Amino acid sequence: MSLTEGKDELRGRFTRWIVITARNAQLSYLRAERRHPQTIPLDEVDLMIEDTALLSAGATPGGFDFVERQLADAFRELPLMRRRILELLFVEELSPTEIAAKLHCSVQHVYNQRSLALKRLRERLTKEKENDKR
Amino acid sequence: MTNAEFRLMLENAVNGDPDALERLLNLYMPLINRLSRYAGWLDEDCRQYILLHITIHISEFRI
Repeated sequence: MSLTEGKDELRGRFTRWIVITARNAQLSYLRAERRHPQTIPLDEVDLMIEDTALLSAGATPGGFDFVERQLADAFRELPLMRRRILELLFVEELSPTEIAAKLHCSVQHVYNQRSLALKRLRERLTKEKENDKR
Repeated sequence: MTNAEFRLMLENAVNGDPDALERLLNLYMPLINRLSRYAGWLDEDCRQYILLHITIHISEFRI
């Protein structure tokens, strides 16, 4: 029996294949993530506004648009994991405990990341508001 | 797992057996988890993407 057979040539070959395939998938995912950050398209935002009580309160899709745009921009600039935590909290409406289990981290980390993300969004929006006043 | 058992599992996975594929993916899950980490935290979306990619392409592996 040769050394190659002893170490199982097939297992080695498959391990190399899966490493390359998984790495290619990882790079492809990261490229797509940079190209298409997870935000709601503005045309969908307009449709959502039409379905809400905002219209009855006098809001119009055009008038609401820029706040949504600023928020979307600020959200897009957040680190990936903070975006993910905010999505799980506010879109999927999971509890911090559920999120911690899903992301394999501590509940305290979820709270910390939420706090930092909201702080960053608040700072960004406040800054833009001040710039608009000038 | 012996070499013969691994070969059988791999052959079945490549031929579309979902149970064999699941066992094979579990075997390589530490590698997949390592590649799915972003800034130290597991990115579940990335992991799903990698798993899907492997599932789609495993039939291309030549035994």
